[in-house]
Formats: sequence, C-alpha cells, structure tokens
Amino acid sequence: MSRQRSHMPFFMLVKLAWRNLWRHRRRTIITLSSIAIGFGLAVVSIGIGDGSHNSMIRNAIKLGEGHLAVQVPGYLEAPANYKYLADGHSLQAKLEALHIAGSVEARISLQLLASSANNSVGAGLEGMNIVSDPRVAMLKPKMIAGHWLEADDHRGVLIGDGMARKLKVKVGGKVVLMAGTQGGDSQAQLGRVRGIFDSHVDELDDFLVLSDIDFARRFLTGEGAVAEQLPVTRFSVFLNDPDSMAQWKGLIQSAMAGEDVAVLDWHEMMPQLVQFIVIDDAGNYVFLTLILIMVVFGILNTVLMSVLERTREFGLLRALGLGRYHLLLLVMCESVLLSVLAVVIGWLVGGGAHWWISTHGIDFSALMGGEMSIAGTFMDPVIYTELSQGRVIQLTVIVFAVTLASGIYPALKAARVAPVAALRT
Amino acid sequence: MALLTLQDIGKCYRQGEVEVQALTGIDLVLEEGEFTALVGPSGSGKTTLLNIIGGLDAPSSGHVHLNSTDLTNLNEAALSDFRLFQLGFIFQAYNLVPVLSALENVELIMVLQGRPLQERRERAEHYLALVGLKELMQRRPAALSGGQQQRVAVARALAAGPRLVLADEPTANLDSENAAALLDIMHSLSHEEKTTFIFSTHDPRVMDRAERIITLHDGSIIGDKRN
Repeated sequence: MSRQRSHMPFFMLVKLAWRNLWRHRRRTIITLSSIAIGFGLAVVSIGIGDGSHNSMIRNAIKLGEGHLAVQVPGYLEAPANYKYLADGHSLQAKLEALHIAGSVEARISLQLLASSANNSVGAGLEGMNIVSDPRVAMLKPKMIAGHWLEADDHRGVLIGDGMARKLKVKVGGKVVLMAGTQGGDSQAQLGRVRGIFDSHVDELDDFLVLSDIDFARRFLTGEGAVAEQLPVTRFSVFLNDPDSMAQWKGLIQSAMAGEDVAVLDWHEMMPQLVQFIVIDDAGNYVFLTLILIMVVFGILNTVLMSVLERTREFGLLRALGLGRYHLLLLVMCESVLLSVLAVVIGWLVGGGAHWWISTHGIDFSALMGGEMSIAGTFMDPVIYTELSQGRVIQLTVIVFAVTLASGIYPALKAARVAPVAALRT
Repeated sequence: MALLTLQDIGKCYRQGEVEVQALTGIDLVLEEGEFTALVGPSGSGKTTLLNIIGGLDAPSSGHVHLNSTDLTNLNEAALSDFRLFQLGFIFQAYNLVPVLSALENVELIMVLQGRPLQERRERAEHYLALVGLKELMQRRPAALSGGQQQRVAVARALAAGPRLVLADEPTANLDSENAAALLDIMHSLSHEEKTTFIFSTHDPRVMDRAERIITLHDGSIIGDKRN
C-alpha cells in the first residue's frame, strides 16, 4: 500500500507566514522601516552616482571626441600634428553614406604655442564647425567676454579665461599660434581673440583655443596636406542613441575597411574617465554592501527571534504531522514576505526620492565652489538621479538574494526542532 | 480487535553522565474504541510511553505496532505522515496555533491531509458544534478560555479521523466544570466514532471516567484494570 503523504498548499503556507509576520506588529514595522529606509537610501545614492556619472559622460562626449572617433592609428597613444587623415573628403562621404543616427563632426586638434606680446603658453587648438559642433552648445553659454565666432571669421579664436590671464590678452587682442612641423620647421598663424569663456574646467580654460576648422586646417597644409581634400585630425560621431554605440562602431569599421584609420569609442578615448567612474562606483558598492549587511541583520534578527519564540509551537506542528521541509518552507516564506514588503516600501521611499531628484535635481554648486571639473571633464553643478532598468533589476535581485540567504539559518533552525524536546519547553 | 500492540518496549536515555531507564519491558495491547488512562506518579514514564506510541520518540528496544504498521521501522518523514493520518494529539496546554482561528485550527490537519475544502469545512464545523463551540469558531485562541481551547484541540484531533488519540494530561489546567465537560465529550465521541483514547493523567476525574486504567511505576506496568 502506498504511503499517505502530507500536503501543504501554497495558500496555507502564505497565510500562516503572513500572520506570523504580524504577531509582533511593532517589531515587524521597525524592521521593515529600517530595511526600507536603508534600501531607499541605497536607491537614491546609486541614482545620484549613476546620474552624475552619466552627466559627466555626456559632457565629456560633447566636449571631447564624441561617442566614436575615426582617426589615424596611434594618434591616441602619441598625438602629433602630422598625424591627420589626409583625404577627409572621401572619408566623410563614406561616413555620410552610412546615414548614422546622429551627427558627424570633422575636427582638427593641434598642439602648439600661443604667444602674446606679454607671454607664451602651451595650447591645444581645436578647429571645428563653429555652428553645428556640440561644443558650441556647451561652451557658448560660458562666454564671459566678447562673442562666439561668426561663420565667415577666418582669423577669430576663442580662449579660456585662464589662458587670457596668462597671455594678458583681452577681447580683440592678437595671439600668435606657432607649431613645429614634422620636417623640423615651424609655422605660425595670427589669431584674433573674439571671445573669452570660463568653463570652470581648468584643463579647458588654461589650454584650449577654439577656431573655425578652416583656420586650423592651415597648419595641416603646412604639414603638406592638400587643402582641397579637406584634411582633418578626426571625425567625431555623436549618436542619438548611446546604447547603439557598439553596433555603429562595427558598421563604421566595416565601411572603413582598407583605410588606414582607427575607430575608437569613448571608453578607449577617455580611459581616465572610465577609471574614475569605476573607482567612484566602487565607493557606491561599499555603501550598498553596508546597506545589505543592515538588511541581513534586520531580517536575521526578526525571523530568528520569531523562530526561537515559537519552538514549542513548531514542536506541536511537528507532532501533528507537519514535516521538517514544511517548517523550513514556512520560515523561508516569512523571510520572503518580509523582504517583499521591505523592497516595495523601499522602492516607494527611494523611488519617490529618486523621482523628485530626477525632476528637480540637487544643486551642488555651493559645495563645489568654482571647481566643476572632475576627471578632466565638466561636471554639472545640478545633479539629477538616474536609474536604468538594469539597475532597478540589479538592486531588487540583490536585496531578494540577500534576504533569502539571511532567512536560511532561522529556517534550518526551525526545521531541526525535535518535537519531544520542543514540547517540553 | 487489537489496534495497538507494544512488545517489550524499553527506553533508556542519558541525563548528563547518568543513564536513566525510563521504560522497561512494556507489553500492552489496546483494542479499538478503548478509553484508557495511563496513571502513575511523576517520572513513572507516562509521557515517554505516550511519545513512543505517537512516534515522537523512538524506543531503545521493542516494537510498536499500530494495526499492521511497525512504527519502529519507519523513518522520520514516514513517521510524520503516519502521525498526520493515523493519530490525534491533545496536550496539556498551548495546543493551538495562535494565528489561526478555532475553525482554521481544526481544519489544519485536514488541509495537510489534502482533503477538499468542502469536506474539511463540514467536518470542522460538525466537530466544533459537538464540542459546543460553533458560535466561537471564528475566534483565535487568545480570545478563548483554557477550557474552550482544549475543546478546540479535541475537535481538531477527532475531525481528522484518527485511529488513536493520545492525550497528555488534557485536564491538568482546567477547572472541575470544564474538565468534566471535556471528558464527557471525549467519552461520547470515543463510543460514537470508535476512536481509541489513551490519556496520561494524575487526575482522579479522568481515572473515574476511564474504562481501563494502566498504572506505571518506575517505567514498568504494575497494574492493568478495567472499570
């Protein structure tokens, strides 16, 4: 004859677990609150971290070389004025043929000496389309003197306030830009300062000279380039959808097959920024770990105490015919319910705060003072939280996993109850 | 017809360095529907014997047969299922699950047995009515008196349809009126349902109602008489 087996329906398991959870209402509420507040803080903290990182990345991409850059192989490791793409015209045609969802900007980057009547400083000349380049939107609002470059201005340059102080020049002043050639000669162009910007990023304000691309191209023709072929240092690609970067990188590499060019993404172009974000993320993960430790002890304390208080009851249930496995499931179910509640309340607390900060932002300008530069890029003083779907899933799964893990010991303890000994307590 | 057979049951356990012989050479046969009291002074082995009969504790020697099943051959999981389907328990106190109502407590064992909702609800209500608690069946244990709680425990033990009910000092915490009422209920149900009852007790009120009294002393049966 086959053995009759016990059967614990799911509804009974959940009903018992739910009611057990509320036996000590105050204790459960205190535990839930501490876990939920901690979890909410973790959500906000990680949201601020992700928001500031994403803001830095966006700014770095706009101020820097875009999501993707097409340039001469080896330029990144050892930049030099003679490393340029000689036939910019045909390469641009190939890029345009791809109909990239975004924009492609031709740029010329040069290292040179900027001199005024009073002083000389090392400088980086960036020649660009002075109307369409994303840098325009970033730096035009930062003008503190003069005006932005006009479309037909072939002598005008813009400099940062740091460089203006060093060269002791004002708007309208002359700056001689001098560069060495690969052949050992030197060449120079006269620029006139049309405006001065203050980006609050020292690396830019002390070093950057902006001009129209045709002005910068004169230095490349001095290196032997043919002006009609529209030589450039690189093409910077700005994508509408940053998540499609890997896909476009592959397509551009295929289109450029046979050309002596390197296609690099922003991770490769700005390793110092990637490193900064990794280190900063590590700090956030330390905070998250502390929160998780709090969650573990919160649940362990509540569930273990409730198990120890119910030793006699577990003995009774075992005597009546409830198996060890069912007791294990019951206590695990209590942990899961506690964590579901904690995560839901935590998301309400943290998600609400995240929603507010992502809409209104937090202004850190008073804390940052005049310094808005981190890892060589512009940092927005108003930070908005950002949480990707992946982050939401990651945080939820981690808290659930930790909760389940912290419920194992009390559950095993309940399952190990020996009926006779327990009934004597 | 013999329902329960105990053959040469011995139980020995260690208490620190000392070996205690709790039961020695217990031979006993119980028929179906018997209303039996296990009596004897504290430490005579009553509760140990009940635990062994109920499969809550294993004997050091001997065999326990309930019908054709030798409990000493069952593993822990099988014993647990055996208790669920064949036995009913009533303890001295704290018999009920505090977070369940009287009705849910009575239904609990039948839920674990896998009985359908309608059947278990009808049986639970029937037995609660028999013990006089139909009006209070939605109350949780904390809202019931000690006597009412014990009556719920009796209803739970019987509603699940056990062959044998083991009751460890069921009237110890009850006043005379409640104890008498509870004994009346169990006595009449044992006759109506042909359910076998074994009580461990010191209570003369229980001994008076028992049909058979087995006396234990120092772990051995020293008396077995029928009232």
